[in-house]
Amino acid sequence: MFKSQDEKEKIKEVETIIGPSIKVKGNFNGQGNIVVEGILEGSLKTNGDVFIGDKAKIAAIIEAREARIGGEITGNIKIKKHMEVVASARIFGDVECASLSVERGAVLNGKCTMLPERKDEIKS
Amino acid sequence: MHIYIYDDYVNTKKYDNALARIETRITDLGLNGKIIRLGLLKNINEAVENEIKRGAKTIVAVGSDRTVNKIINAIIIAGINNQMKIETPLGIIPVGNESNTIAETLGVGQEEEAGDVLSARRIEKLDIAQAGHSFFISQAQIASQGTTLEIEKDYSIEIMEPGEIDVINLSIFSNLPEKAKPNPKDGILELYIKTKAGRKLTKLNPAANQSLFSLKKLTIINPKYPIILDNSIAVSTPAEISVNRSLNVIVGKERRF
Repeated sequence: MFKSQDEKEKIKEVETIIGPSIKVKGNFNGQGNIVVEGILEGSLKTNGDVFIGDKAKIAAIIEAREARIGGEITGNIKIKKHMEVVASARIFGDVECASLSVERGAVLNGKCTMLPERKDEIKS
Repeated sequence: MHIYIYDDYVNTKKYDNALARIETRITDLGLNGKIIRLGLLKNINEAVENEIKRGAKTIVAVGSDRTVNKIINAIIIAGINNQMKIETPLGIIPVGNESNTIAETLGVGQEEEAGDVLSARRIEKLDIAQAGHSFFISQAQIASQGTTLEIEKDYSIEIMEPGEIDVINLSIFSNLPEKAKPNPKDGILELYIKTKAGRKLTKLNPAANQSLFSLKKLTIINPKYPIILDNSIAVSTPAEISVNRSLNVIVGKERRF
């Protein structure tokens, strides 16, 4: 899905952009695609895709359809389809996804479980 | 009958010629009606309510963004007072060099040109947002400094750099990111935050200092700065902003939504 940082620009329908100077605290539930470049604490759930930028800092549970993961994440991640972990990623938590790619240099500290692709929507 | 509400600033000599041209065009188009001059009125809300009750065909704001905001508030309040859905459309005739961004966005030309838009009577039902006890059609703006945003009790947003916050129903500015598509007919508000990120970062990625959220309700708290509604009216905080009303508005072909 997301091949590089520039791929973010290809997400046509972005519902939410959390910019680098923004800190979101609480339970964020969305329906569409979400870009996170800033700080997020709590939980992030969406039926769309998630793009987590290289400088993002997240202390939250993440649930989404597909994901490109960069930055620092403390919390469990559940992805229904493909999860792409790029070199900048520092993940401290368990990961569940149907398909996974990890770039050289990425850190993944946690249990990794591969699941069959789920068709049901994420309950928010 | 069409009701033309002249804001107090247009009742000065400076605008005599403009008003004469507008009135001639209105007469030519067969859109004559009653003129109400705001400067002489004690209560605009009462006047608008009475005209709606008497069956006004159109309420036309003759003035600027501020005038449009006053009339929108008067129409919505008339609806609330009488527990009825008001179908009377709002028309706009922008006059002078005052800020007229709402008319521009709605595709309504300046002065006499606005008469042609009134005559074409292209009506759209547009969302009206509420901030505290005031209503607005376009945007609510506030400085990010010291502002806390609470979104429907689910989460809060803290802004760590100075900048500007816009809560958008109808976008009156054209500098929004491509991905932000505010639609004044979807019952949703766009929260757009632009911070002054480092120049280097902004040079590399112009969208780096922008944030965007879609929502139905939020609370803005800032003990120092007020919220500016429709580019003209100041409202103090804390204020809950939501979109839950609508109004028929006469728009032009060149509208930007």
